[in-house]
Amino acid sequence: MASEEPSIVLYTTQTPNGIKISITLEELGLPYKVQKIDISKNTQKEQWFLDINPNGRIPALTDTFTDGKTINLFESGSIMQYLVAQYDKDYKISFPPGTREFYEMNNWIFFLNAGVGPMQGQANHFTRYAPEHIEYGVNRYQNETRRLYGVLDKHLSSKNIPYLVGDKCTIADIAHWGWIASAGWAGIEINDFPALKAWEDRMAERPGVEKGRHVPDRHGIKDLLKDKEKMEKHAAENRAWVQAGMKDDAEKHKGKK
Amino acid sequence: MQSIDAIKPIKIHVLPAGPNPWKPVLILEELGLPYSLNFISFEDVKKKPFTDINPNGRAPAIEDPNTDLTLWESGAIIQYIISQYDTNHILSYPSYALKETHLCNQWLAFQISGQGPYFGQAAWFNVLHPEKLPSAIARYNAELKRILSVLDGALEGRQWLVGDKMTFADLAFTVWNDRIEDLILCEKEKKFEGFPNVQAWHERMTSRPAWKKAMEKREKLMDEHGLLPNGMPKGFKSHGEFHASVEAKRKAEAAEVKE
Repeated sequence: MASEEPSIVLYTTQTPNGIKISITLEELGLPYKVQKIDISKNTQKEQWFLDINPNGRIPALTDTFTDGKTINLFESGSIMQYLVAQYDKDYKISFPPGTREFYEMNNWIFFLNAGVGPMQGQANHFTRYAPEHIEYGVNRYQNETRRLYGVLDKHLSSKNIPYLVGDKCTIADIAHWGWIASAGWAGIEINDFPALKAWEDRMAERPGVEKGRHVPDRHGIKDLLKDKEKMEKHAAENRAWVQAGMKDDAEKHKGKK
Repeated sequence: MQSIDAIKPIKIHVLPAGPNPWKPVLILEELGLPYSLNFISFEDVKKKPFTDINPNGRAPAIEDPNTDLTLWESGAIIQYIISQYDTNHILSYPSYALKETHLCNQWLAFQISGQGPYFGQAAWFNVLHPEKLPSAIARYNAELKRILSVLDGALEGRQWLVGDKMTFADLAFTVWNDRIEDLILCEKEKKFEGFPNVQAWHERMTSRPAWKKAMEKREKLMDEHGLLPNGMPKGFKSHGEFHASVEAKRKAEAAEVKE
């Protein structure tokens, strides 16, 4: 690396998807700059950010690519695959491409990105943010999240492995951690999944996880979940901008049927 | 590269009514690779022996006798097929084209975490859920439109998502996009209204022989197993009626086990 200024810039917010990337960067010991995106102020929908990620979601990452030009990346799963392909030459948190473990690792990354993330996200929505309380919506997504947690719990316990792809912590584990750590926010009782809970604690002991989880702000979900009153206040604050965002999106695409 | 004749057929487990199994099938068709389809029913996908193949109880999953690898999650399967068999880079870029390689993976990840789950929820609340919940329908219909708008913007002034050729990233979006009218119950002709770039791109891919072949296989497999093209089993009047019958059967079986 020629310049002293880190070439990696992470655009992020304190969310499960955001801390995946900061934890990955910390685990790899890579220098990076952080630019905080204020989603309550819709910074992610400003044009300069849409030029980086047309989907208007965090996290996004820019890096100086091997050709000397900037590469823009979005989608947390793809950013993680990029970071290990480019920088994890010693396979600290990944496996060599083409190996069985490599493909299994990707298997669990997609499981998180297509399953746990979206479903637990919907459980959050119907449990905390929806404009009206729909019991059915709450149950549907909490049940599906529990089912997916059950798959993880059984995988870890039946194989008696410390991490999802065996003995090594990989990006597949890192991808899951932020979501599992905030289970209570979606109304899920983590203690119902003992192997997964033990895995969560094991992950939390890693220095990279500890450092990376507090980016760009303190990772406060664990404290929040202990304090009911604070939790309701936090939900109410978020509810306002979530609903405003939904309304805004619906307006924008009106008439496009 | 291995000659195609030397490749043993890849076994792919499909639940034909679902869109996701057809994503890797389309990739296999485009690459001209040998494969065999194994039908999994809605009733069998969530229980043994299939859950020994995929503990998540979902299709697709593959078993590749050439490498002795079992894999699930359609995105991971697509990345595997591409890295293992697309050595001539018909649907991908060589790994030294790092930028294009990662951008392809980025769009695939967007399909997997964005289009798939949200289009699926839209279908659930529009079609499958017995009770009409307007705020839930509005939420997922708006998200479906938003995802189409992201794609439409990305395709402005260009033919393909990454570089100047069709890749697995483009193909991954076709199966769900092709069924929008069944997901949100709109007129077929109007499903891409407001998104002309997406429409042209979709038609560019679905006019190809590989797409037609994959869809013919789908229809044939569905027909063999008593399913209509929209996924409804023959003899049922609605999805609700069908799901109720599956649920009743499941309960009866569970009761039998208990006894």
